Amino acid sequence: MNKIAYIVVQLIIMLLIAPLVSGIIKKVKALSQKRKGPPVFQLYRDIYKLIKKDTVVSKTASWIFSVTPYINFVTALIAGLLVPVSLKLTPLNFGGDVIFIIYILALGRFFMTLSGVDTGSTFGGMGSSREMALSSLIEPTLLVSVFTVGLISKSLSVHNMMETLSSIGTNIFQPVYIMCFLALFIVILVETARIPVDDPATHLELTMVHEAMLLEYSGKNLALMEYGAALKQLVLITLLVNLFVPLDSLITFNNAFLALGVSILLYIAKVAIAAVFIAIAEINTVKLRLFSVPNLAAISFILSFLGFVQYFIVGGIHG
Amino acid sequence: MDSCLNLLSILILLSSFILVANKRVISYIRTFRLQSLLLAILSGVIGIYSIEKTGEIDILIVCVITFAVKVVLIPKLLKTTVTKVGYKVEKDFFLNIPISILICCGLFILTYFSVSTINDIKDAQVKAYLVNSISVILIGLFFMISRKKAIGQIIGFLVMENGLFTTAVLTTHGMPMIVELGLFFDVLTAVLIMGILVFRINENFDSIDINKLRNLKG
Repeated sequence: MNKIAYIVVQLIIMLLIAPLVSGIIKKVKALSQKRKGPPVFQLYRDIYKLIKKDTVVSKTASWIFSVTPYINFVTALIAGLLVPVSLKLTPLNFGGDVIFIIYILALGRFFMTLSGVDTGSTFGGMGSSREMALSSLIEPTLLVSVFTVGLISKSLSVHNMMETLSSIGTNIFQPVYIMCFLALFIVILVETARIPVDDPATHLELTMVHEAMLLEYSGKNLALMEYGAALKQLVLITLLVNLFVPLDSLITFNNAFLALGVSILLYIAKVAIAAVFIAIAEINTVKLRLFSVPNLAAISFILSFLGFVQYFIVGGIHG
Repeated sequence: MDSCLNLLSILILLSSFILVANKRVISYIRTFRLQSLLLAILSGVIGIYSIEKTGEIDILIVCVITFAVKVVLIPKLLKTTVTKVGYKVEKDFFLNIPISILICCGLFILTYFSVSTINDIKDAQVKAYLVNSISVILIGLFFMISRKKAIGQIIGFLVMENGLFTTAVLTTHGMPMIVELGLFFDVLTAVLIMGILVFRINENFDSIDINKLRNLKG
């Protein structure tokens, strides 16, 4: 019974916060350029508007094209269920669910790239091939940094990892964690199509990656794709902040509901701050040429790998 | 204390990886400056620690000299050389950047295994310092042989020197003052001479590509 309540709470939080992250990032970027920028809740309105609109599907498109939005949305949502927003929630967890998260997101991406090729538009194919190249470049980093944390906590379940990392106190400032944190940060920038690799604000440019695959979508399908992308972004940010910025041990209320509420508020604050940091990273970098992206991927791999070797030399928790 | 030193040593290592990923001469110099700054902070931390412990002020002086020579003076000299030569982006590598980063990664693993064969090191912390700082030396060496242009080789030499300095400071908590001073003057004169040499090479061969040095001129 508790489990179902946890799942419902987790779902509601994930669905409600997801579009907010993009809003915060856009707002910070606009403020840095002395513009007013769109309101923080713009994406909610966009999705609401898109759901009311008609969908247009190309005649040449196969079933993959119409199925993809649902798969994309649902895979992101399932991944969201596996990353608890607070230590006090255990919506779904089993051994090895970190690997499951990574590959269920990869399944969503697989269908997205297929649908990009499906309609036969040149932009779609271009975006798909680029997306696959980028994801294959960045996947080793994600796996190595997550496995390092897994080795330290001797479990590959997100909840156990979170518990271990929140029990070590100030040891979180050790190089192992800092390297893995930075590596995951770069992974987020790449996976969510942020500026060093892809500009989320462009439409109809030769440099676009993620937008190129969504070009053919309209109406409800587009709404689902946008929502799915926002959810995926939130899943990765949650993984980052809940693993490496564990503040749950600070909450010492006796009342279970009060403690849960405060920890969720804390989580929302952490996500907002992470969004601001992503925006700052975007403001301070330029978009890389596509052929320079392997260099960025190599740097992020080195970051996670240094963390990994540090674990072998000095160990994770003591030292 | 230990955790802080460990973090600084790994940041120094990371900055040498970033150096390998660069291809603009200005960013070579910038990364070298960053690394030297980290080195100065490292020696500052050890200096304060040794003042508290034994009252010796030597390492703090070394820290100040590191800052003056490696963060301010040498980058400035290199920048004047670069502006004189007017050479900006390294275009042809022996190996492309991801592969050279992976080779550096291999060097790091090699160092790890070769250090772990030394049985006398009982302290895991010292082992970590040794692995990190010896890798910096090897990466500096690799940087020297992987770049074709003379400026890249100067930077590689300086990074090697930084690695040596890091190793010495971290494992012995400071060499005798006179040795440190000797090293600084050594590096400074080396950079001065190499700067003039690069300028001369550029004047005579219209390029700072070291492969052209093999051409006969008559």
